[in-house]
Amino acid sequence: MIEGKLVDLVPFEDDFAIHMETWMNEEAWFRARLWERREPHTEDDVKKFIEKMEKSERGALIGFQSKDGDPIGGVIFDHEWQRVRKADAMFFAGDTRYEGTDEHLDGLLMLLRYCFETRNLHRLDASALAFDEVRIDLLRRAGFVHEGTLRQHIRYDGDYVDVEMFGILAEDWPGYEQKVAALDLQPSGIEPKPKPEKKDDKETEAGEAKS
Amino acid sequence: MLLEGLLVDLVPYGDAFKKLEHRWNNSEAVFWASVGDRRVVSRASIERWQQESAERAEQGPRHSVWFGIRTKDGTPIGDMALNWVLPHHRLGMLGAMIGEPDYWGGGYGTDALLLIVDYAFDWLDFHKLWLGTMASNVRAQRNVEKAGFKLEARRRQEMYADGEWVDHLLYGLLREEWPGREAMVARLGLKTRKEG
Repeated sequence: MIEGKLVDLVPFEDDFAIHMETWMNEEAWFRARLWERREPHTEDDVKKFIEKMEKSERGALIGFQSKDGDPIGGVIFDHEWQRVRKADAMFFAGDTRYEGTDEHLDGLLMLLRYCFETRNLHRLDASALAFDEVRIDLLRRAGFVHEGTLRQHIRYDGDYVDVEMFGILAEDWPGYEQKVAALDLQPSGIEPKPKPEKKDDKETEAGEAKS
Repeated sequence: MLLEGLLVDLVPYGDAFKKLEHRWNNSEAVFWASVGDRRVVSRASIERWQQESAERAEQGPRHSVWFGIRTKDGTPIGDMALNWVLPHHRLGMLGAMIGEPDYWGGGYGTDALLLIVDYAFDWLDFHKLWLGTMASNVRAQRNVEKAGFKLEARRRQEMYADGEWVDHLLYGLLREEWPGREAMVARLGLKTRKEG
């Protein structure tokens, strides 16, 4: 676990995976993964995605949760490129109640902290659909710099839409502590979700009963 | 298949080109084509890349279309490709390398570019093409700007070349901005070169 102000980074384990089928079919997911084809994601697709990220040598899927342990979403750094020390930044609030909150922002700040202060990256890239004001606002508040507009780049619900390109350099990043202090992050007070029953527990219990 | 230009043709990327990959990959050409990489690669590595790429092509849908660039007298001089093709966005990224420095700056790259752009719009029904090049590659920028590409983003210090961080420039061309290859040939005054 890496502890932040409002959220902690934790391994993307069962308590996250259990929500992922819902999360990966939310509008917010498709906006964040703007390059991908819009299609429904089955349980199997979700499992494969998580496995792929677990095996990836050029990226990682990490969960972020509130201070009371409520799984909020994930941060992904992907396509890490050693020669130029950069990666693609992807983050999502799977639980859409947290969309645009300071917890969501802190998830992104924790991603930056991890990439710059632990992995020693030089740069992170991020993109957003031009109308996705929530994402653009989060990127700007985190310190990303707007670097251009890809015109009519992505097909979205019957139209081609622009994509805003952002980047942040290690030299733009003041450090997590300074950034958090400057932004004065405040908890949203959202009630944690009830913990779902885990399938695994039942199986273990059944297994124990048998033996 | 063959796309016929004035100075070059785009042809299947076959053995005549693959044989040259070892030399091209160890030359100055790859520095420009790979945005700043300098490679020292063995024949065995090249063969392994070629093998892996063939296996990938057999496994699933292809996300790229590769051509070899061949001069009118039959000399293989480089490659031209549509990479990262996203059919659902009708979008593809152009990539090219002129492996033979003798053919830099003589209009060969421009001729090849006009051919592949026309092919992408007219045959593959793309909506947009884009490409990236490092800020220090002035020749490439001149080429793509001549063909009508517009600078859309300047990604700061994204690439590293010869000991320095350099910006990466992203260019785009929309189908509606493309007047067709013939019009472009006329506009740029491209001509076949006389023998000898």
